Amino acid sequence: MSQFKVLVGKELRESWRSFKLLWLPLVFILLGVSDPILNYYMMDILKAVGGIPEGFQMVMPEFSAADIIAASTGQFQSIGLIVLIATFVGTISRERQNGTATLLYVRPISHSALFLSKWFVATLVAMISVIAGYAASLYYTVILYGPVEWNRFIAMLATYLLWICLVMALTVAMSASFKTVVAATLTIFLVIGGTIFESLVGSFISVSPWKLPSSSLALLSDFYDGTDFIINLCLSFGLLIIFILIGIMMCKSNASTTKI
Amino acid sequence: MGELQAVPWALIAPLLFIQLILMVVALIDLSRIHATNGPKWLWVIIIIFGNLLGSIVYFIIGRKQS
Repeated sequence: MSQFKVLVGKELRESWRSFKLLWLPLVFILLGVSDPILNYYMMDILKAVGGIPEGFQMVMPEFSAADIIAASTGQFQSIGLIVLIATFVGTISRERQNGTATLLYVRPISHSALFLSKWFVATLVAMISVIAGYAASLYYTVILYGPVEWNRFIAMLATYLLWICLVMALTVAMSASFKTVVAATLTIFLVIGGTIFESLVGSFISVSPWKLPSSSLALLSDFYDGTDFIINLCLSFGLLIIFILIGIMMCKSNASTTKI
Repeated sequence: MGELQAVPWALIAPLLFIQLILMVVALIDLSRIHATNGPKWLWVIIIIFGNLLGSIVYFIIGRKQS
């Protein structure tokens, strides 16, 4: 336990010194803010850009607050996740490749503490970023579009944070298993590809971990079907534990591949 | 001048401010770092003119971790 604390402190210091703790939340805030403002001023932007013929009528859809939060989530799901994965996918493998890991591996540390500290800090930074992004998005949505129900929003945020937890566990486990490039490709393929797959044929499958973001958004609307939701939650928790166990195992067995 | 005043600055200003902070953080990091992937002056141009994406790209692939 004391090893874990020391390693977490070291990881936090590292993420502060490399400005990760600063720029990741800023990126998510920008992503979260852009959608409410862009949709609100869409008509003005089209007028300013020009090219609209005289007497042209266009009906803009009436967005509700939940639609705007959904649009922000869409931004987080594409650009946000790629940024998060690309930032944290090298967390173990890069240290192995450039030899810094030898400083750690020559000491009698437990590999589970090493892996758990990496995963914990990656998840913490990702969660801070996502919460900051949603807070900014919510602020503008409430100003421009009207109120959002608090208990629903918090339920949605909690579900989405579980999804972020899962993605970061997969990212760090991949980082422990493969070299950085392979790990990045596999993780982005699994997460983004899975999300696209889910949006294409998701309506035919009721239980899959990629359903978490969409069902978190469904929590925000008036009518949602909660029958498969609990099963999905349990499945995600199970997968989270499996990813962590795989990560710890691979961390141990790949320790010898460190460049000296 | 009338057009400039018509812009709702109270809504837009935080957006510009955050973008500015991101740019400044990227430039500070660039000035401190020992070596980057590719020439440093190129990253200065990318960060300044590539507003949001420039800084993100710098943080993800520009920093050489070694």
